[in-house]
Order: sequence, then C-alpha cells, then structure tokens
Amino acid sequence: MWNDLVSLLFLAYEQFMYLSLFIEIALIFIFIAIIVTLMSYGSILFRRYDSYVYQKRMAHLSPIIEDLITEQVLLNENLGKDIPVDEIEFDQQAISNKLFRKPVVRQILIDTLIRYRKNFRGEVGELLRKLYTEMNLIEDSFAKLRTFKWETKIKALVELTQMDIPISDSMLLPLTNSTNPTLRAASRNAYIQLSKNEPFKFFDIATEPILPWDQLEMFKIITNTKDVTIPNFSRWVSYSNNKSIVTFCLKLIAHYDQQSAIPAIIELLSTKDHYFRAHAINCLGKLSAEIAEEKLVTIYTSQPVNCQIEIIIALGRISSGKHLEFLKQEFLFSSNFDVQMNAARSIIRHNSQNSRSMLTEIMETTNEENQLIIKHCQNPLIKY
Amino acid sequence: MPNILVIDDDDIMLKAIKNILNKDGFNVVTATDGKQAFELLDHTVYDIVITDLMLPHANGLEVVGKVRHNEANRNVGIIVVSSVGNEETITEAFRLGADDYLKKPIMAGELLMRIRKLIANKNSKTQFVTKKK
Repeated sequence: MWNDLVSLLFLAYEQFMYLSLFIEIALIFIFIAIIVTLMSYGSILFRRYDSYVYQKRMAHLSPIIEDLITEQVLLNENLGKDIPVDEIEFDQQAISNKLFRKPVVRQILIDTLIRYRKNFRGEVGELLRKLYTEMNLIEDSFAKLRTFKWETKIKALVELTQMDIPISDSMLLPLTNSTNPTLRAASRNAYIQLSKNEPFKFFDIATEPILPWDQLEMFKIITNTKDVTIPNFSRWVSYSNNKSIVTFCLKLIAHYDQQSAIPAIIELLSTKDHYFRAHAINCLGKLSAEIAEEKLVTIYTSQPVNCQIEIIIALGRISSGKHLEFLKQEFLFSSNFDVQMNAARSIIRHNSQNSRSMLTEIMETTNEENQLIIKHCQNPLIKY
Repeated sequence: MPNILVIDDDDIMLKAIKNILNKDGFNVVTATDGKQAFELLDHTVYDIVITDLMLPHANGLEVVGKVRHNEANRNVGIIVVSSVGNEETITEAFRLGADDYLKKPIMAGELLMRIRKLIANKNSKTQFVTKKK
C-alpha cells in the first residue's frame, strides 16, 4: 500500500512537471490553501477541546475552592473579634489537601483568591492574602516571574500586585525598562503599587519611553493607590534625558500643584524641542506661575504657533492682569485664527473689572468677525 | 429575620456577601442582573437592597429608581456597592433615593455595620409612624 502511494505521488509529480506554468502556480496555491484551512480547523478544534476540558475542570474545582475560601476566610470564626489577622489560624488539614498540590488547581486557586481580593479589603482582604502566603502560592507566582515568556511574567506581576507582595528591586527594576512595551507597562504599574518608599525610582533608569496610553494607566494607578509617596517631580524635569518621563512629570507636577517645581520648568523654556517647550508652558499655566509671565511674553515672538497658543492659554490661566494689553493686541492683530480665539478666551478668563471693560471696548470698536469670536467665547455652554 | 436582596453580576461577590450576611442571621436573596432584580422586587418587599451599579439588562441606578418608585418600598434601605467612584454617578444614586454608598473593594465589617444602621433607622421610622397614628 505504501509503495502504491509513493508511485501515485511520483506519477502526480511527473504529470505536474508537464503542466503549464500558470496551472502549476494555481495548483501550488490550491495546495497551500487546503493545508492552511486544515491547520486552522485543527487549531480551532484543539482550542475548543482545551477550553472544554478547562471548563469541565473548573466546574468540578470551583465549588471546592470557593468552599475552602468561604470556610477559611469569609466564615472564619475569629473574624470581627479584634484578633490581629496574623494570629488567625487556618484549618491545616483543609489547606494541605492533596488536591491543592496540583499546578492546575493552584492556578485556579490563585485566580479565585484574586477575584475575592478585588471585592474585599480590610480583615477579609488581609486574610485572603494570608491564605495565599500560607498555601505557598507566592512561590508559584515568583516561579512565573522567573520564566522567559513575557505573558507569564505579566500574569505573575498582576498576581503579586493584587496580593500586595513586595518584589525585590533586582527582579522588578530591569523589567520596568524592558523592550517589550506590554511587560514594561505592567512592571512599571506594579512598581508604583508595590514600592512603598520610592515608587518612581524606575524613572531614574528608564531609557524606554512611557507611551501615552501607559501614562494614562499609570496616572490612574498613582491617583487610585492608597499611600503612594509623591516625590518632587522637578528632579526628573531637571535631570532626565527621557523626554516621555519629563512630559509625564510635567503632567504630574500640574496635577499635584508642585509650586516648587516652577524654576525647573522655566529652565525647560530654553529647550530646542518646541513640542517639549509647549508642554512646559502648559504646565506653567496650570500652576498659575505668575513668576514666569514676563519670560513667556518675552519669548513669545520667537516661538512657533503651538507654543504661542500655549503662552496665550497660560496667560489666561495665570490671570494676573499684567498682560491684558498684550492679549488684546494678539486678538486684534494676529493673522492666526487659533491665536485670536485663545487670546479672546484668555481675556474673558481674567473676569476682572479691567478685562470686562476691555471686552466692552473691543466689542464697540472692532469688526463683525471679531465680535462673533468674542460672543462665541463668552458662551458658557461652549467648553474648551 | 431581615430580608436582604443582593444584586451583583459577579457570582463570587454574590456568594461572598450571601455567606457573610447569612452568618450574621440575615435572610439573603440574590439576583445577577437588573431584570431578575425587577422580578424579585415586584413580588417581595425587602428590608435592604444592596446593588452594584454596573449590571446587565438594567443598571444599578435604574434599580434604585425602581425601588423608590414603588410606594410599598418607601422604607427599604438601599446600599449601592460599586467600583465606579465618580462623583456624578454617586450623586445620581443618592438623588434617586440610595441611602448609602460603598466603594469596592469593601470591608465586610463596614457593610454589616451600615446594614444594621439602616435597619435600625427603618425600625425607628416605623415606630414613629405607629405612635403618630
């Protein structure tokens, strides 16, 4: 039978060689398509089977694991009796069950504990953490952190962060500068949440950028995590060579209103990168840095449009009233519509006696188009 | 035994709260979505309703509105439990008639304390109305 098959293949090959080139190419394509289709179906079937086995296993194991957590943690007799969580004992027979030695079961156990931890804090949350450490699941997570697969490392980071288990700097810091952006973001987030004293230490060694989406995620973590030590971010504004770190620090300085950072930000105004300069001007405006006003007005004419607009917005935010005339000149004589629009908004933002009389005067003397711009900016329903 | 309706789409949270409240002597009924909760609320008057904000079919705010809309449920204590922490949503929940708000992750002891306080308030209100009559 084997010989028959070989001779058939040989015959097919001989015939294939005599076919025209176009038909040969078409046949090759058909052959590849069939193989790829079969492989795809095989992969789908395998995944479905795998998921079916997992679901079946979960259906069997979940009640056992949930019962363990319910008995040992939720219904623990010592809860609510003012006994420190460290002194609460678990039923050793229950937690040393042979079933909980299997890696698959241990992983389901970790996942379930994390789900509970997301819902409970206080005594229950602490007891869940204690169960995690007493069942030595911590070792499973650290083993995952030592693997080469980045997905597994991220899983370990999430587990350890959720369980509030400190990770040594020697293990975590290198990951914060990984070339893999997903792993890098996850480890930076973990570092902020786990490092009690210096949560932003990785800024010192970061050569890889913090991507805009990661900045957003990190900002959420910084503002939502309890007891994060907030440093003076001007340190990185002055010394970091990583532009994304400096940009992110500028946003954090504005958010935490770190007035002491103003001199360091003013230094940034002489940087060559105009996008960077625009960020610095924006931050000065948000900090209402009156001290920087003169400098901003002085450099105005030598700036590109994006920086000019930021300067005008900043003057509106500072609202000292010293540069109302400058804003008026920009509104009346600038050829750029965005500059005019922002100058009008900045004058309105001052909301002082002088600014109001200036607006009345402009409305009486200026052309129809400028009047329309002012009316548009005065509309409280239009946000900017 | 006070009747409590707990509404949450997270089965782990439902089971956990049910166990904790049962241990403290409360009778707990659970619902996993807004629709199921509406059906239960149509047939039974509960002492306390604990609801998540993000639910399938109808959200927690709709549940709060539904409870308060029914005259029979005027004295039902409503606790909103959610990981959504924005002020607007919380204010809206209170405007619709929620009595309390807890942010996830919750503390079991705190939840029990607030439930007891709401039940005590409800009982004192009922006594006041009876005396007035």
